[in-house]
Amino acid sequence: MTSLFDRIASLFSSKPKLKPAELQAAFRSHYKEFRSLLTANNNALELMAEMEQALSVGKSFGMAFIRGNCTALSVNIYKMIQHLNRLADGRYAGLDQPFRAITRQLEQIIASRPATTEGAAILSMAEVDAGMVDQVGEKMANLGEVRNRVGLRTPDGFVMTAVAVRHFTQVNDLQVEINRRLKGLDLDNLEELYTVSAGIQGLISNAPLPEDLEEAILAHYQQLATDAESELLVALRSSAIGEDSSNVSFAGQYRTQLNVSREFVGQAYKEIVAGKYKSQAIVYRQQRGFRHQDVHMCVGCLRMVDAAISGVLYSRAPDDPRSSFVMIQAAPGLAGNVVDGSAATEQLRVSRTVPYDILDRQFGAGREGGGGASLLRLSAAQAAELAEVGVRLEEHFGAPQDIEWSIDQAGLLYILQSRPLGRPVPGEPPVLIAHSPAADELSDLPAPLFAGGVCVSRGVGCGPVFMVRSSLDLLRFPKGAVLVVETPYPDWASLLDRAAAVISETGQVAAHLATVAREFGVPAIFGMKQALTALENHHLVTVDATAGKVYGGRVEPLLALAPPKPNLMAGSPVYKILREAMEYITPLNLTDPTSPFFRSDSCQTLHDLTRFCHEKAVVEMFNFGERYGFDDKAAKQLVVDAPSQWWVIDLDDGFRQDFDPESRYVDLGHIVSVPMLAIWQGMTAFPWAGPPPVSLRGFGSIIFQSTRNTNLDPAVRSSLVAKNYFLISKNFCNLSVRLGYHFALVEANLGEFLTENYVSFQFKGGAADENRRLLRIRLISDILNEFGFRVEQKADAMTARIEKNTSLFLQERLKILGYLIIHTRQIDMVMGDEGMVAQYQQKIMADLHTLLQTGEGGMT
Amino acid sequence: MAEFSVLVIDDEQEFVSTLVRRLCKRGWASEGVLTGGEAIRKIAAGNFAVALLDMRLPDMDGSEVLREIMKISPQTRVVILTGHASASEGEEGIRNGAFDYLIKPVEFETLLEKLQAARKRSP
Repeated sequence: MTSLFDRIASLFSSKPKLKPAELQAAFRSHYKEFRSLLTANNNALELMAEMEQALSVGKSFGMAFIRGNCTALSVNIYKMIQHLNRLADGRYAGLDQPFRAITRQLEQIIASRPATTEGAAILSMAEVDAGMVDQVGEKMANLGEVRNRVGLRTPDGFVMTAVAVRHFTQVNDLQVEINRRLKGLDLDNLEELYTVSAGIQGLISNAPLPEDLEEAILAHYQQLATDAESELLVALRSSAIGEDSSNVSFAGQYRTQLNVSREFVGQAYKEIVAGKYKSQAIVYRQQRGFRHQDVHMCVGCLRMVDAAISGVLYSRAPDDPRSSFVMIQAAPGLAGNVVDGSAATEQLRVSRTVPYDILDRQFGAGREGGGGASLLRLSAAQAAELAEVGVRLEEHFGAPQDIEWSIDQAGLLYILQSRPLGRPVPGEPPVLIAHSPAADELSDLPAPLFAGGVCVSRGVGCGPVFMVRSSLDLLRFPKGAVLVVETPYPDWASLLDRAAAVISETGQVAAHLATVAREFGVPAIFGMKQALTALENHHLVTVDATAGKVYGGRVEPLLALAPPKPNLMAGSPVYKILREAMEYITPLNLTDPTSPFFRSDSCQTLHDLTRFCHEKAVVEMFNFGERYGFDDKAAKQLVVDAPSQWWVIDLDDGFRQDFDPESRYVDLGHIVSVPMLAIWQGMTAFPWAGPPPVSLRGFGSIIFQSTRNTNLDPAVRSSLVAKNYFLISKNFCNLSVRLGYHFALVEANLGEFLTENYVSFQFKGGAADENRRLLRIRLISDILNEFGFRVEQKADAMTARIEKNTSLFLQERLKILGYLIIHTRQIDMVMGDEGMVAQYQQKIMADLHTLLQTGEGGMT
Repeated sequence: MAEFSVLVIDDEQEFVSTLVRRLCKRGWASEGVLTGGEAIRKIAAGNFAVALLDMRLPDMDGSEVLREIMKISPQTRVVILTGHASASEGEEGIRNGAFDYLIKPVEFETLLEKLQAARKRSP
């Protein structure tokens, strides 16, 4: 900052002189710009912090949040640039260019859309594979992969692609109306949510299919029905594009229609398309950061399998990616019975290696009771076939899989779906069965109300019981309640963002509701038989799902164990957009104001612009005196008992109101500048011991002999000093000091906002040789570091800063600076002597601690 | 009139005709009407086991229709099926004798289950 020092050093030389009133007006207008800039700076930093927090904390946000924050941020930075240019008479016009470049990038990111989909409206399953996600959606792309690349049996069928749904939506001009209805939707208002959802779904379901699309669908349907079947029945399954990029399964969020005949294929298609706006899907997308317009509902139309037995196959235990067994849930009939949680199921664990032995099997009661399950046992051969399929699919897709399957009356195995198994919570031990080692170690736990069931989602939650038996109960569910149900229907999923925990009398780990509970991090116990009868609405309970226990009241030690909620947003499209945007927002490249690259055209991010504007604004305030010289009448000589050699210039409101502006002197008692008084306290707290005894090696001892002077009068030799001026307002002080051979500058602003508060200190020069001057700088740096200053050193010049702290804290720092200005005079002369250095350092630290402890104990 | 028949009362023609056809296909003799007035006439004339009642009708309020039905045909189970979710309206409906309260859209299979349950309880 040499040039700055030079400027400051020449501060009082040959400037056009302003009258006191003009000077004050100029200062006021500059100060106003400066403060406005600091306020904008403050806002910008807060907005950035909020956006960073959104990325790390996992609160849910949508595009509105990103768009809103980016706009607010840009506005604040635009303001900073404006204020800076007004402070500096337009000398930073160069900031316009990087500002425009950065905001243009941000606009592009915010407006970005996924690649548009092209191609056929309908594709046969025979031609689909995993590479076609953008045409047929995740579910059908994976199923095509299973069929055509892995070579496993899947039902014949076809897919209505993204092109089809776009055609349907555009012909009926649906999107504008849908967006209108969703705009401003309050997710916390369940009645509104369900009403809007029903309205949008009705809108879609009742819109006519374009004729060409309907004909194409029926033609493909006809091709499936080659045999002499009386009537071909198909299943229509949703396969959304854009739902699955972050292990998000949208489990059960969308619709599936089974046993659909020719007559209703078109209608069923529209209803599944409409299912994109099921209430829980709207909530889910919002929670996880998906934009509605990025999700395209493709629909698979598959021949119904005449299922004898169906179920779910996990290639690993759902919460342990290292388990050495596959897990199979099986039930008679269709697979839907397992995933909607209603059927009695058989659960098997089967070894992942040949010959795929069954490790164990157990029965879980369904809604209709457990009796029927024992009639239908999966054979060892079927279990082995499933285990092998699980391992194969996991190998093929490179991750544990969650597979839906059916075995038909002829004993043929069909794969209906294969998707990545929901990601386990990181760091969790591989336990599925109720057991909680951490909770076991807790003593003094009350006796649980009851225990049992299966933990389907770990964790501990507390809230009032609320039983949901009907859609009506659904609407009345209070936020933060413990959801208690008989059957874990997928429909209850829309409550999971507001439930503290879930208890279900029936169901098991494969139920959709369990999957969603795991994703939302909501603790859940299923198969807890007596729940509905044993509990009462509104009673406060603590649910330890991990241990399978329910306690009355609030059990703090258990709640303390609860793991943090997962970051639902991570990896979602909106999250990605924010993360991309943040690359143009938060990275700070301009860290070093002394670097030659600290220039407007080096600004690459909004943070750079913020930093640059702030730094330059402070410099411009420093330059105030240089650019607007003042006539001598503005400077009042400070009187402390007697006139001193310190001069004070009031820039605004630094003097008491009763001060006589015509007076040549100002009494210390008339000064109300908070930072100046703090500095003064530090300067005068201890008498100066005078220059140190200089050794023979000390250079220029003669000069320093003549400076032996115990008062604060710096004007020892007129040839060596300039007058020392305080420029003050109530909250502001700029002090430039030339004492002996060194030059020091203190500036402080102690305002109402933490972010506009700063103390800055610059120090340069000395009379001794460079080495000893550097040693002195190091000594001062060490001391300032100790008191929380950020110190930068370049050659024998030093800058120390401390910012964004309370006025009281900064006043203490100003006292320290006041002390150092006085007491480090000329100690450069002794810096060659280690013993002396240590001695000085000790003395200084002792004094400073006394100074800070005594607080008001200055000698003024 | 079939013994286990359903009357679909809803002002959306497309919805009514699709649902009636689907129900018939699954063995539920069904009919549809688009207004509350028609619904009351049908109920008075026929023997419906279940009425699926929308709460927003062009000529009458759904709760009014519900009270009328309960008066003239107390054996008919009324299942409210509405797109306008309202807890208070639902509570009032249940208080006035409705058998169940469903929010649109309902999966067809779920609806069949509900009809089954309503029929079982039909006196």
